[in-house]
Amino acid sequence: MKVLIVEDNIDLARNIQDFLQHEGYVCELSSSCNEAQDKLSSFNYDCVVLDIMLPDGSGLSLLENIKEQKIKCNVLITSAKNSLDDKIDGLDKGADDYLTKPFHLSELNARLKAIYRRNSLGGDNTVRFNEIVLNTSALEARINDTPLDLTKKEFDLLLYFLINKNRILTRQSLAEHLWGDYTDNLANFDFVYQHVKNLRKKIAAARGKDYIGTVYGIGYKFDTSIS
Amino acid sequence: MKLINRLTIWYLAITTFVLLASGLIVFYRVQAEIENEVKTRLKRDIDHAAQLISEGLPIDSVRGNQLDIKELDHNAALIPLQVTDSMGFYSLYRRALDRKFTVASSHKIQGKHYYISAYNFIAEPDEILEGIIASLAVTLLILLLFVALASRQMSRLILSNFNRTLKTIQGFNLKQKNRIKLTHTRTYEFKELNQFLEKMTNKALDDYRSLKEFSENASHELQTPLAIIRGKLELLMETRIDEKQASLIEGIQNAVQKLSAVNQSLILLTKLENQEYPVKEKMNFSHFVKGEIESFRELIEMKSLSLTTKIEPEVYLNLNPVLADILFTNLFTNAIRHNLMNGSIDVTLSSYGLTVKNTGDPPKVATQELFKRFKKDKQSSESTGLGLAIVKQICDLNNFTAGYEYTSGLHELSIRFSH
Repeated sequence: MKVLIVEDNIDLARNIQDFLQHEGYVCELSSSCNEAQDKLSSFNYDCVVLDIMLPDGSGLSLLENIKEQKIKCNVLITSAKNSLDDKIDGLDKGADDYLTKPFHLSELNARLKAIYRRNSLGGDNTVRFNEIVLNTSALEARINDTPLDLTKKEFDLLLYFLINKNRILTRQSLAEHLWGDYTDNLANFDFVYQHVKNLRKKIAAARGKDYIGTVYGIGYKFDTSIS
Repeated sequence: MKLINRLTIWYLAITTFVLLASGLIVFYRVQAEIENEVKTRLKRDIDHAAQLISEGLPIDSVRGNQLDIKELDHNAALIPLQVTDSMGFYSLYRRALDRKFTVASSHKIQGKHYYISAYNFIAEPDEILEGIIASLAVTLLILLLFVALASRQMSRLILSNFNRTLKTIQGFNLKQKNRIKLTHTRTYEFKELNQFLEKMTNKALDDYRSLKEFSENASHELQTPLAIIRGKLELLMETRIDEKQASLIEGIQNAVQKLSAVNQSLILLTKLENQEYPVKEKMNFSHFVKGEIESFRELIEMKSLSLTTKIEPEVYLNLNPVLADILFTNLFTNAIRHNLMNGSIDVTLSSYGLTVKNTGDPPKVATQELFKRFKKDKQSSESTGLGLAIVKQICDLNNFTAGYEYTSGLHELSIRFSH
């Protein structure tokens, strides 16, 4: 997957680039609307991570250009402005998703992959790893063809793990992924612990391997090296 | 008491006093004037009689009605002018007693000594007084009537500008964007008042706006560095780290998380104050609440809480859906978080309001205090201390009333809707 990161803050852009490169993506950076416009006209990208507030204009106008020129790429908007209007505006103008800063890089990754799956892989809605197969449209999980009886949250959790394989996922980022904006109000992450515990139990019951392990007490990791 | 009533009372008190005083003055003046006049006239009569006598007219023909002449011993000393104020019979037949004013003096004319006295009946003091009192009473009555009627009208006229100013000021809100506009007045005091008020409110608006802009900008500016720190920490975690470093990273992450949560909440509060959440249409709150509760079912089960709900169907509210979401989830997640293991939650929704009750430890601060920003039951706790402040703000915006009570082990948060 080829990603263009349009972000004027170089540190933030580098963070995203670093993280996504680990996923094997090809990442390029632009720090302004014009630069991004040039790159978009000359090269093809699968995804654009687009900041709204840019030094030479709004990311939304760039989004309009992309749609006008029928450039084929998915757009994920990131913004420090957690304003509903911006969000609606962005999605109306044809953005595929919207993420509010500060976000977890693993969350960005999950969103990008979801968009990519949906739009570019011909609507392929299966995510698989070894014996685990997830159908993201039917919310169905199977291990070696044994259906897993997962709750919605557990399904989300497993999908998140599969997309962020071999990454340390903090309880925080898991909580935010599962509960969105309300994590502030849930404060302690016992809930995450409970969810992960239940998920592992269910996978074990279906004779799946226990890929999910804790890491130094700061979070969890879906470790593909376990066999 | 209304200003006009106050003024009227003072005015009437002063008028009554002045009327009393002027009544007294009139009484004495009229009395003195009458006496003086009668005295002068009677004296003239006496002088006239003396004149006639000196011209040789017989005494009997000079003597007449109300004029008496007596002859005195020639050697007796001259009697100077005497005034007697007595009561006498006005008429022999009617026997009416009246005030008799007599003036007398003696004159020596052509070797004879005459004592001439003349009298007249005049009005008695109490009769004069009566008249004065009667006329003043009527005056007072007329005054009263006119003042009462005119004062209402005058107050409406003169104070109309003042009342308008008052109304404008009462409707003044720092959060409004427009400056206040006061009507022009010709009254000096009101003009001054209006000028002062305009200056003051404009200053307050400007100050408020710049303060708000500052905090808005500050909050937004914080988001990017926070995002950078967060990202770097995530990347740092991916490197080869040992357990000690991991726990350090976790510590930083928690702090960053809290910082960004506080920041987000502050931004939300600012946006609420800016009224950035317009109400577009009525929402089915019953339906919404049911859905929300469902989405938290797993959390409820994890804490083994027993949930009872009494949700009246078809409760519609004029509420922005985003705010409805924040409002309810804040209350509901609070009820989960501050609950005891195996505790209970009770949600009641009717067209009057929403009540969320939950078991929990008794609060350590007064419950109403918890609606204030950064007020927490436990200062050390992980929460931002802004959740209930946000609830309050949303309620204020929509004219709902939020209440918090703790009775016999139950925390009860209630929102009363406005209708």
